[in-house]
Order: sequence, then structure tokens, then C-alpha cells
Amino acid sequence: MSNHSQMISRDERIAAMLLHYEVERFYYDEAALLDAHRYDEWLALFTDDAHYFMPIRRTRTQREMDKEFTKPGEMAFFNDDKILLAGRVAKLKTGRSWAEDPPSRTRHLITNVRIVKDDGRTLEVESNFHVYRTRLNSEETSWIGLRRDLLRRTDGSFQIADRKIYLEQTVLLSRNLSNFF
Amino acid sequence: MSFDTRQIDDLVSLERGEVDRRIYTDPAIFELEMERIFARSWLFLCHESQIAEPGDFFQAVMGRDNVLVVRQKDGSIKAMLNTCAHRGNAVCRAEEGNAKSFLCTYHGWSYGIDGRLNGVPGHNTFYKGNLDKSRHGLAPVAQVANYRGFIFGTHDAAAPPLEEFLGATGRLGLDTIALRGDMEVVPGIQKFVIECNWKIAVDNLFDWYHPQITHASAFQPSVLPSTNRLENAPVEKIDLSGVNMQSGAGLDLPGNGIIGTKFDQVVVLGEYGHAIGGPTTSSTGYFEFDPSWRENPRTKTALGPVGCKVGGHPNIFPTTWATVTQPQISLRIPRDPTHTEIWWFTFVDRNMPREMRDFMVTMACRIFGPAGVLEQDDGENWAQATAQTRGIASRRIKHLLNMGIGRGKIIKEGGLARIESLTSEYGQLWTYYSWAQWMKGLSWEELKQATTPGDCI
Ligand code: FES
Ligand SMILES: [Fe+2]
Repeated sequence: MSNHSQMISRDERIAAMLLHYEVERFYYDEAALLDAHRYDEWLALFTDDAHYFMPIRRTRTQREMDKEFTKPGEMAFFNDDKILLAGRVAKLKTGRSWAEDPPSRTRHLITNVRIVKDDGRTLEVESNFHVYRTRLNSEETSWIGLRRDLLRRTDGSFQIADRKIYLEQTVLLSRNLSNFF
Repeated sequence: MSFDTRQIDDLVSLERGEVDRRIYTDPAIFELEMERIFARSWLFLCHESQIAEPGDFFQAVMGRDNVLVVRQKDGSIKAMLNTCAHRGNAVCRAEEGNAKSFLCTYHGWSYGIDGRLNGVPGHNTFYKGNLDKSRHGLAPVAQVANYRGFIFGTHDAAAPPLEEFLGATGRLGLDTIALRGDMEVVPGIQKFVIECNWKIAVDNLFDWYHPQITHASAFQPSVLPSTNRLENAPVEKIDLSGVNMQSGAGLDLPGNGIIGTKFDQVVVLGEYGHAIGGPTTSSTGYFEFDPSWRENPRTKTALGPVGCKVGGHPNIFPTTWATVTQPQISLRIPRDPTHTEIWWFTFVDRNMPREMRDFMVTMACRIFGPAGVLEQDDGENWAQATAQTRGIASRRIKHLLNMGIGRGKIIKEGGLARIESLTSEYGQLWTYYSWAQWMKGLSWEELKQATTPGDCI
């Protein structure tokens, strides 16, 4: 690793840092939109062909870890295309989406951002999240997990073309998932 | 604390359609439910397709007993308690998978997939061969049976055979899934926890009064594909005079088949507390993504003329709900008086075209389950309905299930007892009434008698 980093030039390293900075800033802006319930603007961050997927996780033995998460085509918690995501946003705006009225208080903390692949057009990025939610006076939920995104470069920014959300829970310890990740 | 029969009768009134709110939070009542309902009733464990190969297992819940349902080498299915015969440890800690044997990780007792105790560390050295291994296998569930691929178990060796327990109503409920084709469960059981009493979750499955309000946002065009099968059917909206939002504005509901006076319902009442409630198949409220199976001659013969009309939600007492829109089973598993685990099993026909299968899986994720646009709005109602029964004063108020009370003429035809009406609360009330009979600890014969529908509700 250190050999490698010595081999790449200072300019390349600065370029990598800038890219990292841009991706992080993109995520922070995205999180801010969600926490402010600005869902239309959040939706616009997705490409029209986007897939938004949160698999079901199962407690299995080490030997069967390849079957820990369900795969596309199997059951999931979220399995949305952009039209479905737009439907969810439309639902939230009806004024009759009771599970979010009074609205949940959420805070999205995005950390450990890693650009794992970059082919010039699309980035594959992993990040950790902690979505903290409270509802009413006593309900408190913490969802922690990993997001694996495909970010497509657009002029000056990115769009999310694919998001896989891996939660650190098998039996979901909350009554619903009325929020986004 | 124990309850005598009269005290139990006081908890549910079939005449008034009232339920005592104590049944939702009282720990003594919960304990009695575990003993008199969940230790006796047949309970759904899993579908045979989930454990196709020898050694495949699925961990199910019966009351508070964790149960391993395991496919055997000869193709049969066994269910046993997941507790070591030595000192109780769970012998399997995975939710599902494939096993060649079950090793208890405490002291190493090792069981075959048939539950037989095969190995005991130090059997000769420490026990001097004095431990009879044949007597210490995993305890089998008292009875296990398969109805059209649905595996059920009961802790009660004296329980009537599964088919008899299901009766015409329960069988009809399961047939509405089984008859759709060569059914299999799609990998991935959604599991989540709601802070509610299990009975509030169960009674809701018959509740066709709530969707138009609770799920008003989900029925907004563009959220779901239209759920009105009869697009052009005249839908007369129900009266909403005096129904206002907190803002004072009137409640404006999307026009849709779920709402209205053309919503013909048929409620089927069965022995042991099974019931089916919801629209008839010719009602504006009836909707299925793929109703083609209903045209099948096999379906018509199997369901009979009355069964064919039933387009609502079956519940196999106590906690197994089969859905209609698309074939799914939802279990409401009581964890404690105020926590219920919901498990969703999603079915598809093995011979379905890939596209249709993908559509069904997508819709299953989209409608029900914790992120489902319908179900995400259910939990808070149930949690708050449970929570409010804790207050001493709030608890004195009865839960009302009296919609249509006294007007539900029971028609007995084709082996089924049914009530035809508009939206009603007969299905819920029948469930609570039957619950009370179970809670009395009657003999199986007496229980069947007590839960045989009369002439009118
Ligand atoms: S408790 Fe299982 S071997 Fe001792
Ligand atoms: Fe509902």
C-alpha cells in the first residue's frame, strides 16, 4: 500500500482527495435534504434508471454467509425503481401519510466513505450510515449499516444509479421503514 | 392469577360487540394465552418449498418455543424443539440453512437432523456408558402435518387432525394460495417488531373499514397501481360529514374501489375461530394482481359456489393470515403482551413467467412489510391502540366491534357459514369470541361446540 502510494504522483493524490471531497459533499448534501424532509430534491439525485434495494438479512452459520443477504429477484425490504421512489415521495406529500405525521425526526450520519472503483463515468462507493430516528415522545430507532452506491458523473456532480442498503439487523427492530436511507 | 370461565365471558361480549381492554396488556392473560391457545392450537411453521433438500431447516416459533423444521433424508418433514436435552441450550442458532447435524455448543451433544442424539462427548469416559442416548433426543413437536404444502405443528398430542382443525373455512383460506399453481416461497422472510398486542394485529386483517383512512396516502394515484378492478364501476363515496382533519379541513379521500357503498362483503365464520372477511369477488373492493386462477375449473370445483365468491382475508386461528391481492402469509407472533413480531412469507407459482414473478416480488415488497406503502402506516395505530389500554381510566372503556351487530344473519350453505353485508366487524368479533372460548381451557369437543356459528351475530 505505502509502496503504491509512493509510486503515484502528488498530483494524482490531490486529484483523488478532491474526488473524495466531492463525493463526501454530495452525501452530506443528500443527508441534509432527507433530514429536512426535502424529498423532491432528494428524488432528483437519482437517475431515471435507478434501483434502490435493501435486502433481507438472515442469521446463518459462517459456512453459509454467501446466503446471508437476499439478492435482487428475491424478497427485500426495499426493491424500488425511480417510479416507485417517486410514489413514496408523492405519498409523503399527501398530508395523509400518518406514519410521518407528526413527522419523524431523523439525522443521517454518513461516514467511512470509500471510492472502491472508478471507470471515469461511474464510481462505485461504499459508505457507512447511522440513521437515527425518534417518533412521538418515546420511540427511538437506530439503523446502522452499509450503503453501496453506483454514482454516475453528471456535470459537476453525481447521480445515484444504484443503491444497495445493508442493515445490521435481521429481524427489523422497528415497526416500519417510513424513512429513506 | 387465574381466570374462571365467568370472568373470561366478561371479557368479550358477542351480543354487544365489546371487548375488555385488559386483554391487550394484562400479563396474566398473556400467560394464559400461551398455555391455552399457543400450546394447543395448530400453528403454521413454514411451507415445504422452504426446506426442499435433506437437512434444510427453518426455525419457527410456537408460542415461546423455538422449533426446528427439518427436511429428512426420506423426504419427510420433522419438527423438534430447539433445546438441548442436556441443559437447554439452543442446538441451532441460525434462522435457516442446511445442516448435516445439530451440535450443541455448550458441552457438545450432537444430534442428527432427525433429532436423534448421536454423540455425547465423554460418553464412555465420564458417563461410563450409563446415559441412554435413545432417551435424550431433541423433543419432537407433538404433531406435525402438511396441508397442501403448508406445514403446521401443535404441542397438543390430543389435538384433532390438522384438516379437521382447519375445517372448511381454514382449508378455503389456505386453498386461496395453494390453488394458484405450483406454489413456492420466494427466499427472504420479512420479519419485524411492532409494539402492539398480537390480537390488535390479528383483528386488523379483517378490518376493511380502516384502509380508506389509514392507507389514504397509499391509495393516492401514482403511489400504487390502481386497486380498483372495476375501473368504471360507479363508486359512491361513503358519508364523511363531520369528518375533519386536525387543521379543520374536511378529510378528502381518493376515489377508489376500497371506498363506497358498492363494497359488498362476505364474512365466513369457522369453528375454532377461523374466519375470512372482506369483499366478494364481484365487489368494487376486490382486487388481485393475477386472478386468472379463479377461472380454472379445478378452482371452481375445489372452492365450490360459495367459496368462489370469497375475495377477503382468511385467518387461520390464531395468527396465520393469508392475503388476497397476491399470495402471502403473514404471521403475527406474540412476543410479550405489547410486542408482536410480523413475519411475511411471499408465494409465487413456480411456472410463472419470469416477468410476472419479478412483478409479484416487487409488489410484495412495495405493499406490505415494514416499508410497504400500506403497512408502514398500520404499526403506529396498533402501537397507540395498545398503549392507550394501559391507563386505568382508558382501560375501562370497551373496544367496539359492533358495526352491523344484530344484523348479521348467518347463512349455512356448502359447508360454510357466512354473513353477507357491507363493511362490518363480524370477522373481528368472531375472532375475539372464539379467543374467549379457547381461554376457558375447554376440551377439544367442547371448544368445537362453543365455536360453531349460530344463526345471527
Ligand atoms: S446443554 Fe447441550 S450439551 Fe450441555
Ligand atoms: Fe392496514
